[in-house]
Amino acid sequence: MKRKMSQKRRIGGLFYTLPAMSLLILLLIVPLIYTIYCSLYQFKYMMKGNFVGLNNFIYCLTDDRIRNSMITTIGVTLAATAISIVAGLLLALWIDKRGGLFAYIIELIGLVPWVISMVVAGLLWRWLFNGDLGLFNVALRMLGFKPIYVVQTRIPAIVALIFVMSWRTIGYAMILILAGLKGLDHSLIEAARVDGATRLQTLFRVKLPLIKSQVLLSTIVLTVSNFTNNTIPKVLTSGGPVNATNVVTLEQYNLSFMYYEFGRSSALSILIMLATTVIIACYIKVAKYEI
Amino acid sequence: MKKKSTALSAAFKTAEWLFVILFGILNLIPIFWGLVTSLKVPREINAFPPKIFGFMPTLQHYARIFSSGFLRCIMNSVFYALLAILLGLVFGYLAAYGFARRDFPLKKLLFFIVVVGIPLSSGSSVLLIPNYMYLTNLHLTNHWYTLPVIYAVYNLPMALWLLIAGVKAVPHELEEAALIDGASQRFIVTRLIPPLIKPSIAAAALFIFIGSWNDYITSSVMINSVSLKSIQMAIYDYMGFFGQEWGPLTASATCAIVPILLVFTFLGRQLVSGLTAGAVKG
Repeated sequence: MKRKMSQKRRIGGLFYTLPAMSLLILLLIVPLIYTIYCSLYQFKYMMKGNFVGLNNFIYCLTDDRIRNSMITTIGVTLAATAISIVAGLLLALWIDKRGGLFAYIIELIGLVPWVISMVVAGLLWRWLFNGDLGLFNVALRMLGFKPIYVVQTRIPAIVALIFVMSWRTIGYAMILILAGLKGLDHSLIEAARVDGATRLQTLFRVKLPLIKSQVLLSTIVLTVSNFTNNTIPKVLTSGGPVNATNVVTLEQYNLSFMYYEFGRSSALSILIMLATTVIIACYIKVAKYEI
Repeated sequence: MKKKSTALSAAFKTAEWLFVILFGILNLIPIFWGLVTSLKVPREINAFPPKIFGFMPTLQHYARIFSSGFLRCIMNSVFYALLAILLGLVFGYLAAYGFARRDFPLKKLLFFIVVVGIPLSSGSSVLLIPNYMYLTNLHLTNHWYTLPVIYAVYNLPMALWLLIAGVKAVPHELEEAALIDGASQRFIVTRLIPPLIKPSIAAAALFIFIGSWNDYITSSVMINSVSLKSIQMAIYDYMGFFGQEWGPLTASATCAIVPILLVFTFLGRQLVSGLTAGAVKG
């Protein structure tokens, strides 16, 4: 009787998860497999052509523009993520100490850039950086500097892209790291203090090692999010000037919807996927998920 | 000695507040400036130096975008977000209950898919081409249900994560007591637990709302009917249409921000505590 009951409960558990899991499998897993299949064929528009083996992959890895876009993406991603994590960590350490309403205000203000849409954020920054009328150049001129035409100049465009990407995620990084700090066992810090550790020693020898995995997890989440972000480059700089901010996901988008090379864009999607899979593998290793 | 340290801490306090103000300006200036611009007549927008206050506010840009079908796009996005929240919460809660309270075949594998789904769907552009090709071949793009279902799925992993943490925090004894009192399993799942995990449900709902309302890239490839356009698509299209006319552009951006900030002000606490409590344990 008991056995039968537990059997029924086991199947019941599957029943609860079935609707959600079938959707996840149908829309996250199956499309991936289908794309692997498509990446092996030539496509004209949406019409499947000849089997071409790994030619699409070879094209993606040898084409100069795509290769440059990969390098740009890696540079922008690393820079934006590093800035967000360092700033987020400093902010988290600081407001964790302050606490109260003060911390709450910083948390809310910090999250605003993350809750508004990337199209809107990109558009508003584009307006601030805009030619002569944008607030940025107005301020520069009032301070006696020469205006910088951000979106039209190579280096400023890249810097602006990195800036807006990190601007968006600093608060989010802060909140995620704060989670680790709030979960700390305060008796450990007290013990270090009692044993005569200085503030810096407590920070570097006790606090930071204890929140290490939380920081690492935030880094991974932000890396994936920045690596695959194509909305901000699309809206802020449209990949220009002269491909200076042409990130790989933008290239993937253009391959599909400007050149209609769906075989090649499938192959590029798989390559992007492989890169993110490596990052996600680290995530799973660090996260030590248990259920 | 004592006096010196109070002077120092006063200076520190001032520096701290200065920093908060600076942080606030940096975070909010695009929104503030967008709002100011959207209320100016074109001549004021192009004036140098630009005025921050003391201009004659006008609603002409809002009138202009609303007369070109912007309201329709807002309503579409509201509908997409609400349906995605409904789907995400119902499916997500049931699955969260299953994961938190039951053992079943393939549980580890299925949970692994959820875990992988969190970073995978956070950059939904990874799935952009795969889902586009797959759904196009099944003739499932460009329908009223296309976007809500996709949004629900993209945000399900994170919603599930928040909801599992919520269900796990409800003591087992409560369920057992209810069973002994003769409550049915259905009663427990549908009536007993949901009110107890309201904060997690709110956090999950807010998460799905933000994801759906703010999505541009998915909707831009999945939808081509004008009548199904989402708000972010409309704003992006305005950038091509209005070009350097920043009045209507900032007006549409302001319209997109208002609901998000409203919901965020009311449920922000839940989101913050959901993210900090439900956020992955290290």
